[in-house]
Amino acid sequence: MRNDRLLALVAVLAGLVLIVIAIVYWAEPAKSLPGFFPGHQAGSAHHHVKHGIAAFLVGLACLVFAWFRTGPSRTTTRA
Amino acid sequence: MILASLISYPQAIVLGLLQGFSELFPISSLGHSVILPKLLGWNIHQNDPYFLTFLVATHLATAIVLLGFFWRDWVRILKGLGRSLRDRGIAPDDADAKLGWLLVVGTIPAGILGLTLEHSLRKIFASPTSAAIFLMCNGVLLYAAELLRRRAPQVEEDDDARIARQMSWGGAFGVGAAQALALIPGFSRSGATMGGSLLMGLSNKDAARFAFLLATPVIGAAALLKLPELFGHQGDGVRGQALVAALCAAATAWLAVRFLMRFFETNTLTPFAVYCLLAGAACTVYFLS
Repeated sequence: MRNDRLLALVAVLAGLVLIVIAIVYWAEPAKSLPGFFPGHQAGSAHHHVKHGIAAFLVGLACLVFAWFRTGPSRTTTRA
Repeated sequence: MILASLISYPQAIVLGLLQGFSELFPISSLGHSVILPKLLGWNIHQNDPYFLTFLVATHLATAIVLLGFFWRDWVRILKGLGRSLRDRGIAPDDADAKLGWLLVVGTIPAGILGLTLEHSLRKIFASPTSAAIFLMCNGVLLYAAELLRRRAPQVEEDDDARIARQMSWGGAFGVGAAQALALIPGFSRSGATMGGSLLMGLSNKDAARFAFLLATPVIGAAALLKLPELFGHQGDGVRGQALVAALCAAATAWLAVRFLMRFFETNTLTPFAVYCLLAGAACTVYFLS
């Protein structure tokens, strides 16, 4: 049970971080991205919109995973 | 450059008709859109910005047709997703919810790999010769999938219940990731997903159904993402042709999906494998000679 909660917590944190990363990709041009970000390019005004979408989707997936992981255990079938 | 001469209306009709069926047949639409202009001596290149913009319209038309064809299924699937989110779990007998999440799991790798690799792969493998060679490889892949397929017992009568029972989460992820192969001209998206689904134990009919459902969000999202380019300056000179091509693509896509859903009730991928091998080999020899 503790492992389940820990996994969900990690998924929530990863999801939030990835969504923040997505916002950074959408808001900042390539030259202003942190150096360790894929797509960072000195002097480039290009916005990596697709990188942002990819990060956002994975972040969303992490949050959905955590949502299911912390749900009630299922033993009955659908009516 | 004279904009009006970028793509003529007859060329748009041919490319639209071709795109509509080759996107859904497991024979690589991208490969054919690279090979055919070269065979016909048209001055159209896969990496020309106006051609990519033109293709957006045909892809969007194909996605709309798929959405329309499986409309009732999508409504059930979306309701299933909503149910599972509300209940914070997937009920064991809720095939719609399981299928919906299998499609989400399959779409994530396809979307991410597509977003990150599309530009570089398109640049590297843009030549008709490489497309012809990869078309042969696609034929080998299709044939191998038929040879190595897992024949699992098909118990449930309902299509979605069978797919939901047979396909694992890891399998859906792998099948989704296999779609990235289609970024290389010559490899087929539907071929990769159908082949992967056969390896997971689905029947040909269920594999085709899963492939078309999985293709809809990927093709639709990719087209919507690039739609602004069609209405921007990159669409100048090709907008009318793109509309004509989209209508042609919609017509052939509708016929293709109707045909294939019946075809795969009793047939396999082997005829498409043979076509890809022969057409790829003939084109390779022709382009190299």
